[in-house]
Amino acid sequence: MKFRGGHNILLSGRPEGVVRIMPEPEVLYIPLRSRRFDFSEVVVKDGQRVSNGDTLAKDPDNYGVPLLSPRAGVVRLNKDENHIVLEEVTKHEERVDMSKEELSHIERRMGEAGIKRYRLNALGAWQFFYDAHTRALPDPLGTPQAIIVSTLSLEPFLARGDVQLYKRLSSFTRGLEQLQSLLEYQPIYLVLPDIKSDFANLIRNHIRGHAWVKMVDDFSILARNLGLKRSEGPIWAVRTEGVLAVDRALTLSKPCLVRIVSIGGTGVNSPTHIKAMPGYPIQMIRDKYVFEPVARMINGGILTGELLGTETLGLDTECRGITILPELKDREFFGFIRPGWDRSCYAACYLSSLRKSFSERFTTGVRGEGRPCISCNFCEEVCPAGITPHLIHKYLYRDLIEEVEQNRVDLCIECGLCSFVCPSKLDLMQQFIEAKRLIEQEKEEIRREQERQEKLHQEELARKSIEEGNE
Amino acid sequence: MKRLLKIIEAVRPTFEEGGKLRLFKPVFGALEHFFFAPSTTTIGAPHVRDPLDLKRLMSMVIISVVPAVLAAFYFFGLRFFLMIIVSYAAGLTVEAIFAMVRKEGINEGFFVTGILFPLILPPGVPLWMVGLGVAFGVFIGKELFGGTGRNIFNPALVGRCFLALAYPKAMSASWFEPSHRLTGRLFEYFSVDPSAADAVTVATPLVQAKSGQMCSISHLFLGSVSGSAGETSAILIILGGVFLLFTRVASWRTVVSILGSFIVLTGALISGGAIKCGMPGVFGPVMWHLFAGGLLFGAFFMATDPVTSPTTNAGKWLYGITIGSITVLIRNFTGYVEGVTFAILLGNIVAPIIDEIVIGIRIRRLRSEG
Repeated sequence: MKFRGGHNILLSGRPEGVVRIMPEPEVLYIPLRSRRFDFSEVVVKDGQRVSNGDTLAKDPDNYGVPLLSPRAGVVRLNKDENHIVLEEVTKHEERVDMSKEELSHIERRMGEAGIKRYRLNALGAWQFFYDAHTRALPDPLGTPQAIIVSTLSLEPFLARGDVQLYKRLSSFTRGLEQLQSLLEYQPIYLVLPDIKSDFANLIRNHIRGHAWVKMVDDFSILARNLGLKRSEGPIWAVRTEGVLAVDRALTLSKPCLVRIVSIGGTGVNSPTHIKAMPGYPIQMIRDKYVFEPVARMINGGILTGELLGTETLGLDTECRGITILPELKDREFFGFIRPGWDRSCYAACYLSSLRKSFSERFTTGVRGEGRPCISCNFCEEVCPAGITPHLIHKYLYRDLIEEVEQNRVDLCIECGLCSFVCPSKLDLMQQFIEAKRLIEQEKEEIRREQERQEKLHQEELARKSIEEGNE
Repeated sequence: MKRLLKIIEAVRPTFEEGGKLRLFKPVFGALEHFFFAPSTTTIGAPHVRDPLDLKRLMSMVIISVVPAVLAAFYFFGLRFFLMIIVSYAAGLTVEAIFAMVRKEGINEGFFVTGILFPLILPPGVPLWMVGLGVAFGVFIGKELFGGTGRNIFNPALVGRCFLALAYPKAMSASWFEPSHRLTGRLFEYFSVDPSAADAVTVATPLVQAKSGQMCSISHLFLGSVSGSAGETSAILIILGGVFLLFTRVASWRTVVSILGSFIVLTGALISGGAIKCGMPGVFGPVMWHLFAGGLLFGAFFMATDPVTSPTTNAGKWLYGITIGSITVLIRNFTGYVEGVTFAILLGNIVAPIIDEIVIGIRIRRLRSEG
């Protein structure tokens, strides 16, 4: 498999390879929204006492994915907007929250495989699954053409696969077996950063004899490089934590409540991984780890993460990492003629290119003025999807949506590398996200129009046949 | 430093909307950003950005032509300094006027054009012609197309082409014999005054070669021959050019394909001429051709302009081959002795077509993917 594009950015503030346990919080602030989910259907009442594993809310648009209560406590609904606040938090023994009769009812209706999928969803493991192309939540009852299990992290500061697997390799293999039991004959691809590493050998020894797991050594847009076509059915993608969650839900029948979250970035005094549950107060993380007075908190990685505003009080259910980035403070004097021993760029325009790779201390500065595109081609070189960002940018500038579509803007995986390297400081990724939304909207309109026409045609036919019958 | 920032902040309101000098906002912005990096921060993802910006990219080009500029001082005297000043002043005026009309910032791209332009002119050209040429190049070659990033032709070459066609006599009378002294002309202002000691109008090596007079390769290599101000010294151009390739501001594909196709075609012509005598215009060994005239300068600094060359990598190969072969054709089979200017301008014309073809193939391939 050939890997194209990509750019290895070395950043200081990479989380170290240990997991720290955080102190138990007294109050949890569980956001009702995350990147994919919107838990609008609240099923608990204000003041109700819940135990851990209870369903607090559901997302009706995403196959009823539940928001599980990570701890026991008392629910407060109206305390903070868009949050479920859990007070008097205590840690109870986790319990299996599924009544026997309900299970037998589901078993009768859906069969052996169906009940497994039901349990995945009810115990909170299903939210770790992604559709490889759309990144949405796949249909839990659908049949995928393949499952991709990725231990890689494209983002520099997100929870690493090796950290999550530490001491849990047997759970991982068990999880893979459980995944296999969901399928009929479809393959599972296990993606590792380097199949020759010691760690990969360890995994290989563990899963020896499981012919259905194919080892893949490199990534790009994995599905594309594996030769999987979008038209041939959905592809499920799941990360390390997802496999562990599957193991927990299906083998132990326990809800998945705690995640490993990375704390990284240049504004952190000791970048690390922590074990925390959704709703963990961000203020506690801030107090413990952030030393910069003015720092930007990002939910997710440094390239694709979302700004974590002050209105969000706790970790959301999908959080994989918190990145802290110091804000730009000083304006540099004669920045463009400095030799640049301490800064590295994609092209070798600074003195640091004579030096071995080192980690640079980044801030939120754009570091240059916005200028028109000069077709330097850097964006095309780094693009892992193999599209031409600068060309699409120019078509968008001229409003040529058809050409944009022809240049396959839909293949863009929103990695943000093109915006990162652009010397003209264009916001390429945001433009493409906007363009993709526009194209989707247009397609939807066309589809609706066609449906309407079809309906009119049918009515016409029906009317005619009735008239004929009358005659 | 802090005091300067305070002054800038103090005078800023004069240039903002409603201030007295709001028309000159682009000039103010250019000056401010010359001293201090902008204070803008990222809004959404990606939250960090590469330190490289256009200012840095353009200063890399300027650094890489410094050896050629020093060679021009050495061989043709300090008058060249005046040429640079006139070129910058005239070009910047055009650029600033357009920036004010468009209400955009002054773009860095001009600083490259402004230094490249005097380097490709004969050293004795009148100063008013320098100003006129660069103003024409920037106006017609760049601003009319929409400014930086949107021009089809290299503005410096457009200016040069204009002067060559409009004032052929004045241009051909401006070639001068370079200094052969050890200190060069570093300490004298070399005027066009014919009474000056060693100011002799001399034809360029390529013109001399047409009449059978060949200068030695070593002179071409070091640069002590007549020619445009910055194009004579092959070694210094290669030095700057390799630096430019190393920083990846210029594409090595363009340079290699131009020089490669040129060497192959010239070699073929020479060996063809050796077999069958009477081949028109074939003279000198391949290396001599490579070092003579503006080929190296054009290949390293003119053709590699990312805006006017094709964007795709495959397109760059085709583009380079086009330029290399057209140069050979013009040099050997036409009345012109120096064809690089025209070859690169022709290459600029075909660049969008080449891109169209390469991108068309790529789209066909992409269609089947995913």
